[in-house]
Amino acid sequence: MTVPHRTLLILLLVPALLAVPGPLRAGGHVVKVVATVPNLASIAASIGGDRVKVMSIATGTQDAHFVDPKPSFIVKLRAADLLLVNGLDLEIGWVPPLTQGARTGRLIPGGDGYIDCSTGIRVVEVPTILSRAEGDVHPYGNPHYLTDPLNAEIVAATITEALTRVDPEGAAGYEAGRKAFVRALHEAMFGKELVDLVGGSKLAREAANGTLDGFLNGTSIGGATLMSRLGGWMKRMQAVRGQPLVTYHKDLSYFADRFGIRVVDYVEPKPGIQPTAKHLEELVGRLKQGEARVIIVRPFNEHRSTDFLQEKTGVTVITLPLETGGDPAATDYLKLYDLVTSRIAAALAGAGAGAAPAQGR
Amino acid sequence: MRIHSPLIGAALGVALGLLTPTMATASPAPRQPAAATTPAPVPTTATDPATGPAHPAGAAAAQTDEVAALRRELEALRQQVKLLQDQIAALTAATPAAGAAAAPAAPTPLAPVPPQVQITTAPAAGGSPRTRIPSLLNPALSAVFQAVGDTSLVRRDEANGFDLSEAELALQSEVDPFTRVDLFLTFPNGAAPEVEEGVVSTLALPGPLQVKGGRFKSAFGKWNTYHNHAFFTVDRPDALTSFLGEESFTNDGLSLSVLIPNPWDLYIDAITEVGTARENPEFNSAGRHLTYLQHLAAFFDTSPDSTLEFGLTAAFGKTGPTESLLDAIDTAGLGSTLSPRQALASRLYGVDVTYKWKPRRLNVYKSFLWQTEALRSRRDLDRLTPAMTLLADRASSLGGYSYVEYQLAKRWRVGARYDWTEFPDAAGERLWAGSGVIRYQPSEFQELRFQIKRTVRNDAAAALFGGDASDTRLFFEWIPVIGAHGAHKY
Repeated sequence: MTVPHRTLLILLLVPALLAVPGPLRAGGHVVKVVATVPNLASIAASIGGDRVKVMSIATGTQDAHFVDPKPSFIVKLRAADLLLVNGLDLEIGWVPPLTQGARTGRLIPGGDGYIDCSTGIRVVEVPTILSRAEGDVHPYGNPHYLTDPLNAEIVAATITEALTRVDPEGAAGYEAGRKAFVRALHEAMFGKELVDLVGGSKLAREAANGTLDGFLNGTSIGGATLMSRLGGWMKRMQAVRGQPLVTYHKDLSYFADRFGIRVVDYVEPKPGIQPTAKHLEELVGRLKQGEARVIIVRPFNEHRSTDFLQEKTGVTVITLPLETGGDPAATDYLKLYDLVTSRIAAALAGAGAGAAPAQGR
Repeated sequence: MRIHSPLIGAALGVALGLLTPTMATASPAPRQPAAATTPAPVPTTATDPATGPAHPAGAAAAQTDEVAALRRELEALRQQVKLLQDQIAALTAATPAAGAAAAPAAPTPLAPVPPQVQITTAPAAGGSPRTRIPSLLNPALSAVFQAVGDTSLVRRDEANGFDLSEAELALQSEVDPFTRVDLFLTFPNGAAPEVEEGVVSTLALPGPLQVKGGRFKSAFGKWNTYHNHAFFTVDRPDALTSFLGEESFTNDGLSLSVLIPNPWDLYIDAITEVGTARENPEFNSAGRHLTYLQHLAAFFDTSPDSTLEFGLTAAFGKTGPTESLLDAIDTAGLGSTLSPRQALASRLYGVDVTYKWKPRRLNVYKSFLWQTEALRSRRDLDRLTPAMTLLADRASSLGGYSYVEYQLAKRWRVGARYDWTEFPDAAGERLWAGSGVIRYQPSEFQELRFQIKRTVRNDAAAALFGGDASDTRLFFEWIPVIGAHGAHKY
């Protein structure tokens, strides 16, 4: 009888000894941050600068709903001080196997290194009825909140707080990084001139309240209304406000609310459900009646359905990144929305002649 | 945990009363319209200067409209309660966070973020989960079942037809910050329910350790760990059936998994199991002897879009006399004179290789998989000699499968499997089989599988299958998943 009890005991003990806990935190003062998606990584890098080392699990051209939880990510996660997640169940299909696999209490939900970046976001489209008959519904609401650039400010505050917590010595640097990021965001959003005049926080507050137009039109400085000094993405999108478009997935709701455009339908019949022939035929009918002249599709969506719609109705189809790195020009979060707003504005303006009359929000 | 910690320290207390009137305009669908029309001075925030001009209700209406006053007070109380609830939630959920965050937040009492944006999140983000808290504390509940149709094109007299082959009920939840439980109950076709897996696993041991306890599918290679609904094909590979029986090799016991640190930052997992094997042909000593298993898996990213995984497994235990020997003794009428040995040494070794190609940009639509496992069994056994005596012997047998799959589109996959196996009782039985499978997934929560399988056996193996040297079978399987089924591993 040679069942090697002793051998097995050794086999069991050797790995256990090998596994003597190494340094849990990064040596020196480099904070290791793993983000699930590139937009969060970009914002964290802007805030943290040289004090942080940031990586994203998903790439910019990848569908963040369907990332493969490869064990190699578990190794990266184990070394991380912070895990930044989008939250609202966007990553429900792949983050749990990674955080459980990482075997460290600080990176599971509730742990002090698990940072849900949806904290503080005003979530839209929270379903009142939860049923998978409605497709892949997100029970906590639409998770694509970073399509509204103003939400990046809230996310930046969340990330700054988390960085400060794990690296209190860097607090001043993180706060400076956050302020610089928010300043750049406000200038990109409203134009530098207006931000210099009024202050970005005031503008963001008015925009969040939906009272920006009234404020800008009702306030004059030197004989001209503030509206005449509006620049940035808001100005760019003002020209196409109220115009309709169709998106592949329900991932532009926050953007549409912020910039006052209308998403009138989706190429997917229901979120996450492959377009059916019946639904595409209905869409052809609606598009032919001029309900929308622009369709937005993502790099990771199949293009057969949108090619079909384009061929049948002559609508403009544009492929737009949802994440940093989703297009060669979208090298960071601000450049991403520079690209997104300019392409949407150009497409809607170009299609404007044939589109249905713009309606106010 | 949806409360923004610096907010607690800095902005919330001050801002709540101040911003109540603007909140209603900020929110597209105000939950409490009363707050907009009657922005009552809340006791805690009455000192706030901004609320001063905002209460036209004033003294004149106070006596004549007591109801309105009470309503306002109720509203004020409700907000206070909400505030306290939020603070309690924040304190309990983020004790370390709040403590650390208080310091940096203090010098900037006015939160850097536009206060309206944040304040409106209290009802929006905090309100909806509140109604779900009871269900959130329930374990995630899901059910999977398989309707299987199976027919032989060769033998019409066999039990062909449809089955609800298995229904699985999964209950999964964290127990506390340190452990989680995954319980899978299975209701085999028409039989009493049993625990398929019931595992408590640690979440946060020091170092790269994870301990599991309970009943679990042994980490013997890859396929053995899959639940039936997660198979690539309808049936199990013949080698697994031949060595381990109709069910997975399952242990009641303990498992220790260690992520081996290494200079290349590779994922290398060493799993050691000690347990009592649920009865299977390879380890079948009716619970009197322990089974040991050692599994080593290494995982490589061969490119950003492809991965390669290697596994080695060795399992040691005891088993009883083979069915064929007991049958032979019975047939010979020697049941009272011959008593074969009961606890025979049994060893099972395995090698597995898995290659996956999943283009990151289009991984929903295209993928390729190649998975191969080889198993070798070495068992002590007693053989009945022509002279009707028992001969101590040892049998070595080999088996394996190779499966390839290509995903054609979001919903469609085609696969093929080759099986080859011996049977572990030293009589030289061999079997070959080839299968083709089509998998159709209308959504992530539903799958239909169609499989055709051609099996060829040598004469010795045919004897185990009623003399059939070959068979062709058709399988159909329909698998829906309902509820919150935990995400599968890669």
